Amino acid sequence: MSRAKLLRPDGLLISTWRKLRRDPLGMFGLIIVLLIGVLTVFAPWLAPYDPNEVDVYSRLLPPSGDHWLGTDQLGRDIYSRLLWGGRVAMKVSLLAISVSMAIGIALGMLAGYGPRWLDRILVVTFDTIRSFPTIMFALAIVALVGSSLNTVIVIIIIASIPIYGRVVRTQTLALRDRDFILAERAMGASTVRILFRHVMPNIAAPLFILASMDVPVVVGMEAGLSFLGLGVKPPTPSWGSILNDGYSYIRNSPWPIIAGGIPLILVTLGFTFFGESLRDIFDPKLRKKG
Amino acid sequence: MSKLLNVRQAHVRYPLSGHLMARLTGNHQAWVNVVRGVSLAIDKGETLAVVGESGSGKTTLVMALMGLVPLQRGEVEFESKRILQGPRGRLKPDRRRVAMMFQDPVGSLSPRMTVRAALAEPFEIHAPEVKDTGAEVARLLDLVGLPVEFADRYPHQLSGGQARRIGVARALALDPALLIADEPTAGLDVSIQGDVLNLLSGLQKRLGLGIVIITHNLNIVRHVADHMAIMYLGQFVEQGTSEDIFRHPRHPYTKALLSANPNPDPDAQSDRLDLAGEVPSLLNVPSGCEFHTRCPYMQTDCRESVPVSQEAASGHVFQCHYPLKED
Amino acid sequence: MSCPPVLPVLEVDRLSVSYRTERGDLKALRNVSLQVPRGEIVGIVGESGCGKSTLISAMIRLLAPNAQLDSGEIRFRGEDLLSLDLESMRALRGDELAMVFQDPMTSLNPVLSIGRQMRDIQYRLKESKADKNARSMRMLEKVGIPDPQARLRDFPHQLSGGMRQRVAIAMALMMKPSLLIADEPTTALDATLEVQIIHQLKALQAEIGCSILFISHHLGVIAELCDHVVVMYAGEVVETGSVREIFHSPSHPYTRMLLACDPGGITERTKVLPIIRGFLPDLVDLPAGCVYRDRCDMATEACAEQKPELKDLDGRKVACLLTAESL
Repeated sequence: MSRAKLLRPDGLLISTWRKLRRDPLGMFGLIIVLLIGVLTVFAPWLAPYDPNEVDVYSRLLPPSGDHWLGTDQLGRDIYSRLLWGGRVAMKVSLLAISVSMAIGIALGMLAGYGPRWLDRILVVTFDTIRSFPTIMFALAIVALVGSSLNTVIVIIIIASIPIYGRVVRTQTLALRDRDFILAERAMGASTVRILFRHVMPNIAAPLFILASMDVPVVVGMEAGLSFLGLGVKPPTPSWGSILNDGYSYIRNSPWPIIAGGIPLILVTLGFTFFGESLRDIFDPKLRKKG
Repeated sequence: MSKLLNVRQAHVRYPLSGHLMARLTGNHQAWVNVVRGVSLAIDKGETLAVVGESGSGKTTLVMALMGLVPLQRGEVEFESKRILQGPRGRLKPDRRRVAMMFQDPVGSLSPRMTVRAALAEPFEIHAPEVKDTGAEVARLLDLVGLPVEFADRYPHQLSGGQARRIGVARALALDPALLIADEPTAGLDVSIQGDVLNLLSGLQKRLGLGIVIITHNLNIVRHVADHMAIMYLGQFVEQGTSEDIFRHPRHPYTKALLSANPNPDPDAQSDRLDLAGEVPSLLNVPSGCEFHTRCPYMQTDCRESVPVSQEAASGHVFQCHYPLKED
Repeated sequence: MSCPPVLPVLEVDRLSVSYRTERGDLKALRNVSLQVPRGEIVGIVGESGCGKSTLISAMIRLLAPNAQLDSGEIRFRGEDLLSLDLESMRALRGDELAMVFQDPMTSLNPVLSIGRQMRDIQYRLKESKADKNARSMRMLEKVGIPDPQARLRDFPHQLSGGMRQRVAIAMALMMKPSLLIADEPTTALDATLEVQIIHQLKALQAEIGCSILFISHHLGVIAELCDHVVVMYAGEVVETGSVREIFHSPSHPYTRMLLACDPGGITERTKVLPIIRGFLPDLVDLPAGCVYRDRCDMATEACAEQKPELKDLDGRKVACLLTAESL
């Protein structure tokens, strides 16, 4: 009995990498993501200047050999400030996304798999949070506890939970009546086991993609809040506060605000391209059998 | 002799979604009765086939026996012990003793788990004391005639027949006394349908399993089932040994089903019993004998009164006012 | 006296189609030839992987993007279908060439009423709305739909699966096409329903005089409905002939074994059902010689080296070295 040669089944990571390699935009996105990662992690070593070092004689200089992206109104090197601001942006996004994702997953699975009444309560909660304008919400919280990096993180977490929660809920609902879940129930598997061993792995892919596309959103939120003065307190560099400073001094020099916008653009492009490429890879309609 | 499984007057119903909708459409039923009083019994080493078309309620019946949907009314005894109902009416059979195979062979396996992980599931859930699941996995693969290399495959890398066998292997992992198979030949090519059925019969002989097969494929029932029950709109209209029913069907629906399966012979004479119309909706079960709207032999009392159970030869039971004659 | 032979409605001439995949070219159809004579019903029998879906897709010009036409033609009433531009293709569809699929919702638009869809098909006729509706109602009656006038106002989701399929057939045949392609139209339906619909199809075909190309893996249905049969295996045609020839005296070993496996044809109760052992060959990396040799119970060494051609054998065609030799 002759049969087709069986190729060793490729792991998920390897087959994903192979497909990613063939998508130029996706690769571009991945490179940017990695670049941003490296720059922000190694900021303390890569930054030529102390981001808070004031040098009034060098205010608002255009880009030069000494200051690659020029200086701001207090003579601080913008490039260095951006690198350190990147650390803030990445810290906020990693923390906020992981926590809101964890909570969102838990609540989403509860909503999708649990009793109807719990689902209704959670959906109404999600929708209420989502329809609340983030800025007003932020203003309210800041008014209560004052502005700081941690406040920004908490605000972003609360605002992001419904997004993950909704996606997880929809995916869980779709899986709930599938035959393999029914088979697990018939075998007597506990609900916890079903949710963590069978539902989660099958909804992980869309979540990962969502998280990747969420990074620019979160970074933008942080920047926006800091721009309004509701976030990180000066002189701590944050992309938003750098933009704010640049905005205030735009008539003196366009460079600070241009430079301040660059990282946001890069982050948005990079993570979005990467995330979209992942989404296309994981699209079940494009997935071939075997 | 005590039966392996004994079911008396099982009733299952589903809530109609949204009472508001019911009010708006003028239909004040809050429930739809899907299984309306089914009784059956099966012994060790026997195979019972529950035959019915879509809407008959056969899948719902076994889902209730497995505790996946609540049982509204009725008694179920398994291995002489009464299975009690849990808080929401769901039965709690001993999952180590009753196992079920589902219709979609590839779909009933978790897509991101290897065959090895899928086969190890029953042990991890019920028998954590078993440390060497690898040995059990190898044993199970051998039991269903698959090479041990299959353990590393993912469900989407299996053919329908192979996935079906994995389903059998998984069901038999903990050595159950009863196996429920929902459409075991669905989606399989004719040339390999026999494979799964032969496997089941062989295993039954070796292990003394009781098997309940849900199917609409009458062609296979004669060969694999000792007993069969014909289900229509939530009730058994006829039950008995396969031989009895194939040779002397008494209920017109049984006759219609038997004659509806076109013989692969262009010159076959068909003594087909043609039915009128289609299966009525469960929301509007016809009065009297629920089959009267399609029965070619319908008379007035068929519409007015429910036929009583009659017994022909031993164990051959049916409900019909004007049963077909034995010929 | 010899009359010029009537042109067959459909002629597939040495069609080869393959799909580009990561591993190489998957040769889904290899040198497939078949004919549908005028006014006759031809059935294609084959199991998964035989290539019938690819064949149908090629006919209606809906091949997947990674498919490539390697060679061959499909001639519809003499014209090459594969080189027609899309405008002409669209003009053909619904008028001369009609289709019915396994899922009736493929043919039915969920947001338009049945009456509207049936009128739309008649767009080429310059008739009043009332006349078009009358024609629609006559067709609906012919496929056994009760109360056709009310049905015209219904939407597809209000009808049962069986009714939808009947409507799909009515819509396909309303303009009296030359050819109806039916791809597993009754596979998803219950047996009693299947039988009714097949009967109506046969009656309609006799009345209209169209040809039908009927794909199915229900051997019984093929035996009952078709005049000629084409047997496909792994992308090739292995045998063709009249329905009696194929079912009563199959020549190709695959046909023979396939018929033997059909449980409907096994009248005596048997505990062990026959199967065809083995697996489909790899269509990317095809073995040399006959494509069926690994599963054939009569294979010889020559079968592994020489590829059998489809040869004439008393008016029918078989692709097997052994039958050709025995002539």
